[in-house]
Amino acid sequence: MAMYDYRGEIIHKRVLVIDDYSEFRYSVKKMLQSFGITDIDDVGDGDEAIEKMALKPYDIILCDYNLGEGKRDGQQILEEAKHRELLLYSSIFIMITAENTMAMVMGAMEYKPDDYLTKPFTKDALKSRIDKIMERKKEFEAIDKAVYHKDFLTAINICNERINNKPKNIFDYLRWKAQLCVMVGDYDEAKKIYEEVLIVRKIPWATLGLGKVLYLKAKFSDAIPLFKELIAENKTLMEAYDWLSKSYEELGESKEAQTVLMNASEISPKAILRQKSLAQIAMKNKDLNVAEKSLKAAVNLGKKSCFKSPTDYTGLANIYISRKRPDKALDILGDSRSTFTNNPEANLQAAVVEGLAYKEMGKPEAAQHALDEATQIFDFIKGSVSAEASMDVAKAFFALGDADKGNKIMENIIKNNHDNEKVIKMAEEVFNGANLHDEGMKIISDTKQEIVKVNNDGVALVQKGRLKDAIEFFEKAAAGLPDNKIINANAAQANIMYMQKYGKSERLMLQTRTYLEQIRKVDPSYAKYQGLLSMYQLLVSKQ
Amino acid sequence: MSIESDGPQIEFSSILASSVHEMKNSLSMLINYLDSVIEHFEQDKSSEVKLLSQLQYNAKHVNNNLMQLLALYRLENAMYSLNLGYNPIVELVEDLIAQNKTLMDYKGITLDVDIDNDLYWFFDKDLLGGSLNSIINNSFKYTKDLIRISAYEADGYLNICIEDNGTGYPEHMLQDGKNQGKSISFKTGNTGLGLYFSSMVARCHKNREREGFITLNNSGTYGGGCFCISLP
Repeated sequence: MAMYDYRGEIIHKRVLVIDDYSEFRYSVKKMLQSFGITDIDDVGDGDEAIEKMALKPYDIILCDYNLGEGKRDGQQILEEAKHRELLLYSSIFIMITAENTMAMVMGAMEYKPDDYLTKPFTKDALKSRIDKIMERKKEFEAIDKAVYHKDFLTAINICNERINNKPKNIFDYLRWKAQLCVMVGDYDEAKKIYEEVLIVRKIPWATLGLGKVLYLKAKFSDAIPLFKELIAENKTLMEAYDWLSKSYEELGESKEAQTVLMNASEISPKAILRQKSLAQIAMKNKDLNVAEKSLKAAVNLGKKSCFKSPTDYTGLANIYISRKRPDKALDILGDSRSTFTNNPEANLQAAVVEGLAYKEMGKPEAAQHALDEATQIFDFIKGSVSAEASMDVAKAFFALGDADKGNKIMENIIKNNHDNEKVIKMAEEVFNGANLHDEGMKIISDTKQEIVKVNNDGVALVQKGRLKDAIEFFEKAAAGLPDNKIINANAAQANIMYMQKYGKSERLMLQTRTYLEQIRKVDPSYAKYQGLLSMYQLLVSKQ
Repeated sequence: MSIESDGPQIEFSSILASSVHEMKNSLSMLINYLDSVIEHFEQDKSSEVKLLSQLQYNAKHVNNNLMQLLALYRLENAMYSLNLGYNPIVELVEDLIAQNKTLMDYKGITLDVDIDNDLYWFFDKDLLGGSLNSIINNSFKYTKDLIRISAYEADGYLNICIEDNGTGYPEHMLQDGKNQGKSISFKTGNTGLGLYFSSMVARCHKNREREGFITLNNSGTYGGGCFCISLP
């Protein structure tokens, strides 16, 4: 008797099974084959899984959470796959766990699997689960697709349409819509949704959402009690700790912020990003012991994570230098170089800190040699280095007494981030740390003014209707300021306005796309970006 | 040779979690193979094959108990956060049925499900699913040939009931049930853990001033035992 007729589209799915037990993989493959699926791959560990996913797009991934001591776990695989965009927006990722009460401890919202499945499961249970997720994916496909393309406004519109029909699962749509509103910076609308949901039911995601919105609206003291309440009721709701800590930090209570993250790291020690935040705040508090401990944790966890970064190594090296142990600093920098081969930014950071270590050792020649290497790499990759890494380089030049080179690097950072308060504040701190307060403030204000003037000149051309001149003007400006979102946004706008008036041209469309892509890289939540994207898409759809 | 004992202190919870993980890998294999063997002998009603189904039932029982122990450990040590979602009851029950279909088919148990497709409620899927699974597995043992699952909303509570046409709960268990599982006697059989777990799950679900509870009685539609879990 054929109990199940598994025709239909499931048979065309490409499936990857990840489990360290080959018998288990075999038994799951049998189940999948009984559904009529033929394209099934299976692997025993995370490294292989990532390799497979990079080569082939899978529709369904069944991944065991626990893949053995010292190996990458299921959550790390999911994070890497999402981070490297190896998953299709339609892919289904099911995490297989041994217990059913661990879900919340694991990851942040953006790194959640589509569902969890507890071992053991029967083939009926597996089929039923896959069917349900496929159904849900189909229902949310249009939204997922828009989000995948960072077109948040379209996604919000779809949510609105669905919410108007008052579906049974209206809370799913409200949750989505509120999150999207946060992404496009419409905090008031998001706040309204969370408050309305909370009237119906006190539900953790809504409380957390409300807290985040209050934080983003800079109402830190209002946000804090919400996060505290969440933690009191849900000790393992890790996101609440992160936001509570950030709120304290904004209020200047960095000791409190550190305590919160230390508590969180005790509960969930494997969260690498939190270890990095903890190290940062501990450095700010001059608590070198905690900073060292969490950076070591970050370096170790990083060996199996896509979130490994050279700054963890250089951070640790800097601690060793301030402890008068430059030898240990050189060791860890050597590790960094062998971990991040072919990564010029990592080599740049390592070279810079090596310079500092040699200086501490009283070897000025070796120090100069390291800095020469750093200068060479920096000139070669300038423009693609993050503000954070560039500042490290500048700091090293200041420390070694080469203020000219340091100032030049700082100027470049400020040019590309003239409207980014956080970066400007970090720049101020760098100048202060180098005892260059007055000179630094002058560089900051001059550079900001220069960029504001450039931008204003361009905008003036647009306002006078000299669109062709504006396009040319912004083209030059954007070429020199690739990471400046305001310049790129105005450049895109000039192009769009021109095409709205005189019709589309292939060259301008392509250029506009490049500007938009630049903004997306820097800040996809930038309110103006979303508006420009809709205008651009309107042009695309026009004949 | 002596065993080194001055290594880092490992927490009991992680020993528990990793041992359960290992045990469950073996159990998973056992249960999955049994499923396919039983399916293979579907038409065969000989007593040897009946033994296999008995074996499967017991393996599942061990598995359920392991999961409940771990869940209880986490709940009592505040290591679990309620994952409250607004979910359809039908989906939860469909999962439950899929998980137990082979066994029910083999035992010849008829299932009567009375749940409105539009019935949604706020609950933690994993916890409630675990509770219902342990209760329905208990019913397999005591029912004659029928199990009824129903769900409805009344007075601001969601009620899910599982009843059977067996002999019903013994008197001392009905008494224990009134105490909300706080004094379940573990000497009286294997139902204790499942009921204790269910009452913990119920109590975790709170809405404003009210919290969930379980009830046991014998006045169900079919005269057997009737378990209800009510969530605000």
